[in-house]
Amino acid sequence: MIQVTGLSKTFQDSKRGTRLAVDDVSFEVRAGEVFGLLGPNGAGKTTTLRMLATLLKPTSGTAVLNGFDITREPQKVREQIGFLSGDMGLYGRLTPLEILDFFGKLNGMDAARRAGRIKMLATMLDMQSFMGVRTDKLSTGMKQKTAIARTMLHDPAVLILDEPTSGLDVPTAQAIETAIVDGKKAGKCVLYSTHVMEEAEYLCDRIGVISGGKMKMIGTMEELRAATGKQRLREIFLDLLEA
Amino acid sequence: MRFPIVGAIYQKEMLDLIRDRRTLISMLFVPTLLIPMLFSVGTRLVSRMQTKAEEEAKSMAVGVKVSPSLREALEKAGIQIVENDNLKDAVLAKTIAVGVEEIAGTPVEVQIYVDNSNPTSSAAAARVRLALDDFKDEKVRESLRGSGIPANVLTPFVVTRTNIAGARKMAGMAWGSILGYLLLLMMFTGGMYPIIDMTAGEKERKTIEALLASPATRNEIVLGKNLAAVTAILITAMLTLGSMVYSLKNSSMSSKVPEAQEIMRTIPLDVHSVTLIAATLVPFAMFEASLMFAIALFARSYKEGQSYLMPLLILVIFPALMGGLSGLKMTPLLCMIPIFNASQMIRGILTGDASTANFAIMTAANLAYAGVAFMIATRQFENENVLFRS
Repeated sequence: MIQVTGLSKTFQDSKRGTRLAVDDVSFEVRAGEVFGLLGPNGAGKTTTLRMLATLLKPTSGTAVLNGFDITREPQKVREQIGFLSGDMGLYGRLTPLEILDFFGKLNGMDAARRAGRIKMLATMLDMQSFMGVRTDKLSTGMKQKTAIARTMLHDPAVLILDEPTSGLDVPTAQAIETAIVDGKKAGKCVLYSTHVMEEAEYLCDRIGVISGGKMKMIGTMEELRAATGKQRLREIFLDLLEA
Repeated sequence: MRFPIVGAIYQKEMLDLIRDRRTLISMLFVPTLLIPMLFSVGTRLVSRMQTKAEEEAKSMAVGVKVSPSLREALEKAGIQIVENDNLKDAVLAKTIAVGVEEIAGTPVEVQIYVDNSNPTSSAAAARVRLALDDFKDEKVRESLRGSGIPANVLTPFVVTRTNIAGARKMAGMAWGSILGYLLLLMMFTGGMYPIIDMTAGEKERKTIEALLASPATRNEIVLGKNLAAVTAILITAMLTLGSMVYSLKNSSMSSKVPEAQEIMRTIPLDVHSVTLIAATLVPFAMFEASLMFAIALFARSYKEGQSYLMPLLILVIFPALMGGLSGLKMTPLLCMIPIFNASQMIRGILTGDASTANFAIMTAANLAYAGVAFMIATRQFENENVLFRS
């Protein structure tokens, strides 16, 4: 599970001065739950996810992922998580098979386990036709499937996904949503950032709306509807941003 | 430090490198094809220019304003003569190769007007000088005969100069002046593109986040990448060495001087020398890789990485060149100057002058520099302001 307590991040910029990107954000994500993090561009979603993935150090506050603190035990945290950044971040000159094999080794998986998991994920995400093709020759959908497979390869307890269906066609987005639902059913803790309201409504058990670095509200769809008096998530979202 | 993870990163980087066109060009193409091509074209050009100058010197006329006896001496030496009143202008205008003027006085002065910027004029002046020296010697012998003095009074003793250095040592000096410089320079160019690709390139392509979010520690990542960079650098070095040996052996620069031909034929590279050169280059490669890594990591893009590393390349040229100069004695202090020490040691290995003590000092110094540069590179890799600089 993920427990975030008072997380803040300040950036020092030579031109813009001090910028408070994330301001005292707190939330938790339970095992077997999909938590959606919604916010406009520049709200602090990606910065929050990067802090949880231990790519950035918080200015204050902390988080505990599966029992390990991100500031005191970042190494242990990285062993628990599968992180998908907003940019797919795939090596263009390698094939999906080579990329997955590489990250399997980084996660300490032996050859047999790597092969088994790669085969399973390739089947699940329908990747068999392009496993041996260099990534720079793949379509956006194929690349994103590869990135998702890389994130889930070592069967992590926690998934941190930054806009995983961004720019994808409907069938590919569907395949990825199915993988996330399967992960949730397997008891994983899924922290999910997206701009697609319908997707958030469908996938997320609870939603946190973040804007200007601050968490505006957290709740289930019912709770958000009750609090704002709006029905659709898009309206709820806009209402909270204006508040 | 988990070496299986370091190994995985190393393997992945090597696979990535050999599939990158820019790296292949700098690592393989330049040393194996470009160097032999440049040598071949360059030496053919020089040889052709030399031959052309000598032939023109023979066929081009020499302008004269001299006495009949001097004129006869020049003609006897096979030099084509023309009378000319404006010798200097004619030489500059290239209508004659050189001008020769006899100026009355005590003693008589014979002035040779030559355009040293023109190889033909220089070659012709040398021929004229030879002919005039022979004529002068003949006149002196005639004068002595007339006075009843034997001609051997002119040579009370004979001076001879014998080079005891031996072909290998001479070859070592000739090769040492250029090999170290070229090797170190090629190592930098061979390593530059792979290192930029592994650092700024990863940042630009946004592949670095997934790697940083993996269980690999920063030290393991830096070590794996560094090892791949060192491999690329050493491959470039070995290919450069091989292609230089091949180019010089097959060089068509047909020097007329037997000693020069001997130097070209004698390659001072036995197993012992090659092993010592390799042992010199390895710590240097480690230092160079870490240093370039730390600098390139600061860049946000491939292009920016190039602009950061190019000045470093220029900084390499001067010490690498200085290290190859003969006449500079290897001292413990000089053995501690990076880049210079490797170039000087290579020259010392080739001439057979390298001492064990100096070799040990140089190796220790370069390993120390490599360690410091590695620590800086690792610190850079832990700095989120550097990694996510935008």
